[in-house]
Amino acid sequence: MSAKMYRSTDRVVAGVCAGLAEHLGLRVGTVRAIMAGSCFLFGAGVVFYAWLWILVPLAGDDAASGAPQLADDGGPRLRLFRPAPPAEPAAAELGSGGAAQPQGARTRPGFSVGAREILVGGALVVAAVLLFSARAGVNLNLGTIIPLGVIAAGAVLAWMQLDATRRVGLLNAAKMDTPWSVARFVAGLILVVAGVLIIVTGSGSWALVWASVVASVAVLAGVGLVLAPWALKFWRDLQAERAGRIRETQRAEIAAHLHDSVLQTLALIQKRADSPQDVSRLARAQERELRSWIYQDAGQDAGRLVAGIKAVCAEVEDLHGLPVELVTVGDAELGEPMRALVQATREAVLNGVRHGGTPVSVYVEAGPSGVDVFVKDRGPGFDPGAVPPDRLGVRESVVGRMQRNGGSAEIISSPDGTEVRLHLPAGPAQAAAATGTARNTDSEEAK
Amino acid sequence: MTAAGQPIRVVVVDDHAIFRSGLKADLAPDIHVLAEAATVEEAIAAVAAHTPDVVLLDVHLPGGRGQGGREVISGCAGMLGQVKFLALSVSDAAEDVVSVIRAGARGYVTKSISGTEISDAVRRVAGGDAVFSPRLAGFVLDAFGTAEVAVEDELDKLSARELEVMRLIARGYSYKEVAKALFISIKTVETHVSAVLRKLQLSSRHELTRWAADRRLL
Repeated sequence: MSAKMYRSTDRVVAGVCAGLAEHLGLRVGTVRAIMAGSCFLFGAGVVFYAWLWILVPLAGDDAASGAPQLADDGGPRLRLFRPAPPAEPAAAELGSGGAAQPQGARTRPGFSVGAREILVGGALVVAAVLLFSARAGVNLNLGTIIPLGVIAAGAVLAWMQLDATRRVGLLNAAKMDTPWSVARFVAGLILVVAGVLIIVTGSGSWALVWASVVASVAVLAGVGLVLAPWALKFWRDLQAERAGRIRETQRAEIAAHLHDSVLQTLALIQKRADSPQDVSRLARAQERELRSWIYQDAGQDAGRLVAGIKAVCAEVEDLHGLPVELVTVGDAELGEPMRALVQATREAVLNGVRHGGTPVSVYVEAGPSGVDVFVKDRGPGFDPGAVPPDRLGVRESVVGRMQRNGGSAEIISSPDGTEVRLHLPAGPAQAAAATGTARNTDSEEAK
Repeated sequence: MTAAGQPIRVVVVDDHAIFRSGLKADLAPDIHVLAEAATVEEAIAAVAAHTPDVVLLDVHLPGGRGQGGREVISGCAGMLGQVKFLALSVSDAAEDVVSVIRAGARGYVTKSISGTEISDAVRRVAGGDAVFSPRLAGFVLDAFGTAEVAVEDELDKLSARELEVMRLIARGYSYKEVAKALFISIKTVETHVSAVLRKLQLSSRHELTRWAADRRLL
């Protein structure tokens, strides 16, 4: 039993019986039988059904109208933070509707077939009762009953159509004109109009009906002409609403991002206000993150050389809290020797930050002749020749690694600073290095 | 070159009052701030009223037709001979950097620059030289290409020497270090950099156009 009544999406006509059953905690079959039976009490069932159909919302409707139920399952709320293409809300809703009635969705096909047969049977029984009562002498005005039946059938047809597509149509106007739905709608309309005409003319005379049709069409055309501006305005409002919805989604996404990143960092910075190093590290990391988000270069070139070097520079920056300025020209595929170059760059940057103790400049130039990387710090400098042989840092991880991969490394140090120059040739040399890759990695593992 | 001892008169254009006051405090004592402006219109009016030596110009500014610093420079186009523009921004996106240089700025520095560095940059720009940050040098190399190519127009390519200078600046070298590394005088380095700036502003080379189009600068 559910607190609020919704029409079910697992439905035969409009989902009223299924919704009522769920609301009252009864079996759907029972409710349907009672509803069908009450139709014979002077049509009470029909009126009750129509009343519920009009007044009770379809399950999932509330999410679209932004009612408080929105937060119940979190689904709609989550959707706000997703960049939604125009067509998505409808799809998401259909999805959430299905998820809300899993058992109904499973049983649906069998039910549907049986229910249709019952409906047809019910209609036949009604017809039989009518005929029988006519035989028994009860005066039935067929001239009234048949047009009324036609109107009712047309209305049901059109309403079923409108019901199914109304929300979709509001959210995504382009979906409105699938041929099948248009056909159903038009058929319903024609039935209703025909029924009304027959009642109004009150006779079977074709000439009269024909004249009425012409008159009605003329009137409708006139009304249409007058209402066209309003229809246009309505259409524009719909478009504006759609645009607003998309904007709102984007705004919510930006808000969510700023909340997760910038506000959190600002809070952290206030807490660490007494530690300048932490503050600058936090600010720097946040700046980097925000930049890559604004300029959207994250992920776009993932797996390329520049992205790899960017990542290692960011890592060192976070580790030591000193800025690493990266300038790149060109880009290259991140093959096996390139990975070694990225690792060597990382070691060089790490060295510069650790021993130089100053901001480090990294310049990467990838051209047809190969890739050059320059890592420069402004520290006191050191004599590369004087580094004891047991210190593996620079010798092994930078120079050795580059040589193993067919490249070269050079370290120039002066009291004004140190610069590490890495070069990895392109073309045949790179291909040669690539074939030797397996051996290289083997030897590295052997150590 | 401004004579030594004579103060350099500047106008600071930035929409953040906090940044303006911080910048004023950071500038060396020989640099006098005549006026401040926060929007495109205020900036154009202030430049016209004071005719400063240098305008420190934020790239992103409210007002005008929404083009920010670029619009200020084109609004003061008649004074470009006397007034030099040094662009300042937190952004290091190519479209921001290159568009403001193409509009006529003599240099581009990021806002994280230190007080001494910005004072040096102001003096350099006031003296008629260009100020290249490593990133701007990177954009130049990207736009003109790092290989030497044969082109008709001298404006459309960098000479081998200019390429070398640009590379060293991109590697984080100061002008002094560039001069030392290439065994040339600082004055010669400045000449090369100014020549590159002129090419960047005037070149209509196919590659540059395409490079700009790729980055939606045009």
